[in-house]
Amino acid sequence: MTIRLTRRMLSLFGLAAGLALAGTALAQAQTTLRIFTGGQQRPDVMRQIVDGYMQRNPGVKVEVEVGGATSEQQQQYLNTVLASKDSALDLILIDVIRPAQWAAAQWAEPLDAYLGAERDAVMARYLPAYRAANIVNGKVIALPYFADAQFLYYRKDLLEKHGVAPPKTWDELKAGAQRILAAENAPNLRGFETAGAPIEGTVCTYLVPMWGAGEDLTKDGKLNLSGDAAKKPFQLWADLKEAKVTPPNLAEIPTDRIRQNLQAGNLIFGMTWGYVWNRAQNDADSTVKDKIGVVPLPGFTADRQSTCIGGWQVAVSAFSKNKAEAAKLARYLSSPEVSKQQAVLASHLPVFAEVYGDADVLKANPWFAQALPVVQAARSRPVTPRYTEVSEIMRTNMNAFLAGTKTADQALADMNTRLGAIFR
Amino acid sequence: MSDAIRHKLTPLEKSERRLGFAMLAPAFLLLAAVVLYPIAELIRNSFHFNHLAQPWMGTPFVGFENYVKALGDDRFHEAVWHTVLYILVTVPGAVVVGLGLALLANKPFAIKWPVRLGLLLPWALPLVFAGLIFRWFFEYNQGVANAILRGLGFEPLNWLTTPSLAFFAICLAIIWKSSSFVALVLLAGLQTIPKSFYEAAEVDGATKWQQFREITLPMLRPAIFVALIFRTITAIQTFDIPYAMTNGGPGNSTETLAMYIHKTTVDFLDLGYGSALAVLMFIVSALITSIYLRHTRRDPGRH
Repeated sequence: MTIRLTRRMLSLFGLAAGLALAGTALAQAQTTLRIFTGGQQRPDVMRQIVDGYMQRNPGVKVEVEVGGATSEQQQQYLNTVLASKDSALDLILIDVIRPAQWAAAQWAEPLDAYLGAERDAVMARYLPAYRAANIVNGKVIALPYFADAQFLYYRKDLLEKHGVAPPKTWDELKAGAQRILAAENAPNLRGFETAGAPIEGTVCTYLVPMWGAGEDLTKDGKLNLSGDAAKKPFQLWADLKEAKVTPPNLAEIPTDRIRQNLQAGNLIFGMTWGYVWNRAQNDADSTVKDKIGVVPLPGFTADRQSTCIGGWQVAVSAFSKNKAEAAKLARYLSSPEVSKQQAVLASHLPVFAEVYGDADVLKANPWFAQALPVVQAARSRPVTPRYTEVSEIMRTNMNAFLAGTKTADQALADMNTRLGAIFR
Repeated sequence: MSDAIRHKLTPLEKSERRLGFAMLAPAFLLLAAVVLYPIAELIRNSFHFNHLAQPWMGTPFVGFENYVKALGDDRFHEAVWHTVLYILVTVPGAVVVGLGLALLANKPFAIKWPVRLGLLLPWALPLVFAGLIFRWFFEYNQGVANAILRGLGFEPLNWLTTPSLAFFAICLAIIWKSSSFVALVLLAGLQTIPKSFYEAAEVDGATKWQQFREITLPMLRPAIFVALIFRTITAIQTFDIPYAMTNGGPGNSTETLAMYIHKTTVDFLDLGYGSALAVLMFIVSALITSIYLRHTRRDPGRH
């Protein structure tokens, strides 16, 4: 009896050992790729996409690592990983503002060799802004994963109830918000929100009105903050604050808080990105399903609307040990198929013009019909290897102004001094 | 001199001595690898230009350029000033609150665990968690602080976006977080005071307050010094709580020196300048510690 038991146990051990050995052998034949993405770039959707890829490529295992919620938090972490030449990450999702910095720091493996003869044909298919953003000094630094731009989200039901048309100018927005706020008289309802916390999105809070006034931060590589256009953003946000259209705590609002307030039914107008649509329509806790409209951002005049370009790119780490496999996955992630998948699952704007017209995409996101021209006209934040510093100077000064700790003149003077040292 | 000593050593003593060095070597090497080498590297970096976002510039030697830059950098001055303010408020604050907690925990309660848990929990909590919790306390819409104000019929305040209120909120969080460590140190000190002292004082008719002033405080002085040293050194490095609560905002008005160093090196990748700032912080930290140490050595309370 005991002998038999022992024998059985032995054979079980043998089987287990055999399985374990076979397992390691399989694992050795497999390539494991690790991709980094941000908490706000819908890692759940990324997992679905790579699951599909793994099914078709049994030799490849893809792990998704999720990092910080905001662009600059992710970059902080990536700075430490990449400055120490760590090979743990093979692919990294990077913000559209980063390729120049990544090229300069030599963190991204140029993809030209992996695209080979198809390079020009592949790149030609993307929207021009993304083609331009991802090619730095003639080298393909990353491939676009999804496009983005800031839009004006509004409460369709409230606007209709009070006879307000979706605003085309900031003045119309102010008047409409004031009318609705007065009529609704709800203590938690806010008129308008944009990012005001010291985070990456707040750079756009400054630049959008400046572009709207017809100027850009730099002109021929020189800093361009001396004209009236540089003061416009301060005037606009001060005006909306005084009119009590923006809440008193605008300076502590990060990007995703705008979505949360919108979904809780506490916001009439929000200046934010494409991903919000899908969350507002599908999240279990959303109180505004089918009550949201999306239009281009207002301008100072109706014919001159401006917006910030966003979007995320897939870069292959220069320190990856599986660059060839990683480049293959990067190509898949920036394919029209994945672009469509993301548009349907996450309302991520496509990087291919033709996907905007796709029937399934339009069914999930009716407003995509008007989104293509907005993305095409969207403008880029300054392109420089020292972008993290430029961004920090702009967002902390904007934040200080919105909090009321610096006057417009002080904030502008500080921006001039510190940015002047970078754009020499 | 050393030759003379060596002469007197017997072969046995010599081999004992060699063994001693051999046994110390691993600890010394480890210390050298994780403390001395990084400090040496930091000092070396501080004399070079080293900006990872501009690798084409190389890492040339620039002498004291980074230090000169720091002396003229307003943001560095502000960060130092904020750090000094945090030290001046949170170090005494934590010691006073910690002393109260220690006295409370030293009382002969029938059930000891609630007090001990209350003492240990803030200490065991990671700093950044404490920062996030307090950030929600002081959040404009959903925060407890504004809920209380509204309940009392006041206008809500912009706690984290008004510099003075943000400073207050951060100090409160730091004191809450660090006073339990101080309390643990002081509690250990309290338990070394013999009960007979209090009994004698009681017999002589001393009041509780007199007992506290004449027995507890003097006997507790060495423990208070230890707590002050530890608390001051960590206060110089204040980072996590303001980082989580305001990220230095509004503007840079709650940014500490450690946060500015972190931003310069990790965000901006300017390792040269960041290293110079870190060396300056190291010098300040070493100076303050040495002042404390000198004071404790002279302190008669030790004997």
